[in-house]
Amino acid sequence: MEADEQAAAAGVMPSKRAPGGAGSHAGSDPLEGHTSKTMDQSLTELRTHAVEMGGLVIDQVGTAVKALLDRDLRLAELVLSREPLVNGYELRLDRDTLTFIALQQPVASDLRATRAVARVALELERVGDESKKIARFAAKAGAASEHDPVVAVARYLRHMAALSTTMLRSAVRALDEASPELAREVLALDKELDAEFATAIRQLMSFVMEDHQFLRATIDTIFALKGLERIGDHAKNIAEQVLYMVEGERPGRKSA
Amino acid sequence: MNTIVDTKTANKPRQAATMQGETSAQGSDTPSLSIVMEDRKASRANPAKASAEKLNFWYGSNQALKNINLVIPEHQVTALIGPSGCGKSTFLRCFNRMHDLQADTKYEGAITLRPDNVNLVGPETDPIEVRMRIGMVFQKPNPFPKSVFENVAYGLRLRGINNKTELAERVEKALRGAAIWDEVKDRLNDSALALSGGQMQRVCISRALATEPEILLFDEPTSALDPIATAKIEELITELRQRVTVLIVTHNMQQAARVSDFTAFMYLGELVEVDATSKIFTNPAKKATEDYITGRYG
Repeated sequence: MEADEQAAAAGVMPSKRAPGGAGSHAGSDPLEGHTSKTMDQSLTELRTHAVEMGGLVIDQVGTAVKALLDRDLRLAELVLSREPLVNGYELRLDRDTLTFIALQQPVASDLRATRAVARVALELERVGDESKKIARFAAKAGAASEHDPVVAVARYLRHMAALSTTMLRSAVRALDEASPELAREVLALDKELDAEFATAIRQLMSFVMEDHQFLRATIDTIFALKGLERIGDHAKNIAEQVLYMVEGERPGRKSA
Repeated sequence: MNTIVDTKTANKPRQAATMQGETSAQGSDTPSLSIVMEDRKASRANPAKASAEKLNFWYGSNQALKNINLVIPEHQVTALIGPSGCGKSTFLRCFNRMHDLQADTKYEGAITLRPDNVNLVGPETDPIEVRMRIGMVFQKPNPFPKSVFENVAYGLRLRGINNKTELAERVEKALRGAAIWDEVKDRLNDSALALSGGQMQRVCISRALATEPEILLFDEPTSALDPIATAKIEELITELRQRVTVLIVTHNMQQAARVSDFTAFMYLGELVEVDATSKIFTNPAKKATEDYITGRYG
């Protein structure tokens, strides 16, 4: 996990199937083994690009929250400057999945995987948007004061950022490894994130009751917390896409 | 199983539901439940028109069909898919006793035709009688070397219909039914062999339709046709199910996906899986089916 952590910090998430990746279970991937090698390659490329995008987006979340907590303008600007990269990934994956469907006509698990990649790209793009909003808040927040809403809930911001990036990382790895176990871990963590959000909001309410001076900043802080909570939802959506991709049934939606 | 689902309404919502599902990307928590229900409703089978029960078939000592149990729902299109030699054409040909024309073949079990429960492959059943009720269209368009009119009138004349007005009416009806009337109405006396491949195939479909069969069998009806002619035949098959029950063998998986309500996958003479076409092409239950339709077979 240590290596993953470092790679993610550099904005890269190594795919298990990418050239030079671990590749120890090459050939056992349930999405490979087509008679047509083009089919295998295209599907692998699609997933690899989604995983790369995931690495970048996870780093965007972590960096944006760090920028806010440390009042680091440089980090906030780094996040904002990388936002077009995130959008670029989404556009490219959108185009590539459409082309793949048109040219290769995937069905069954291949079709589910293709759609999963397209939807995951969309979810990740929204995570990128949330990070951008947090970074904007960080950029305009100015120096921290003694009595500051961000400082008041710093502990929760830090914990929620850690939780949501853990969820995202497991969700993206679940896509990479076609692993329903990892996807289920993500679903389980979402409740914890929601609980943290609720506690942080209570904390902020008592904060703002004591002092109305920081109302604007308090509202921005609520948005930042809400953004992290939403990121958890996006991670959950990604995990659900992976479960549908691997199992062909949506979690909790098995009809009688 | 007693309610007859109108084929039009039974199939349109399925497509609409898919479109809806595709576009409502936001908040994937909510949309799919109703869509899943919609889907189940759409794929509910009509009552059986025919059913194969423990059907076995031998060419000499070679067993080509092994214990096939399959229900063919009325007024719907059932597609048979599978690799070459899996027995899908053999199975199709059992329905109109084509194998009787070949020596040293043997049927066992039953194909029961509703509503009168005739066993199509029973030794007591007259194959000529069977072929009156079950029409067939082949891979290569095979019109008789006669005029367009006589091709379609042929089966009617065999049944003793010789009244000119009635013949003309029924030939027109059959040609309209196969969506080719407008193209041949001024050339009814021309040789059918002078038509294009797609037109010839539709004349053959008219010929099969003229005698008003209960089931229409298609054995790879478009593999010799270009994409436009193929699209016309596929559109026709989709419309035909309002009048007849359709059973089609095809190597073209996308064709099975486009035209059929149910898909049956056969392998090595056995029926591996049968389900609603939308289910087979998104989430088949058996790994063998998955491997075949995704191109992992062999």
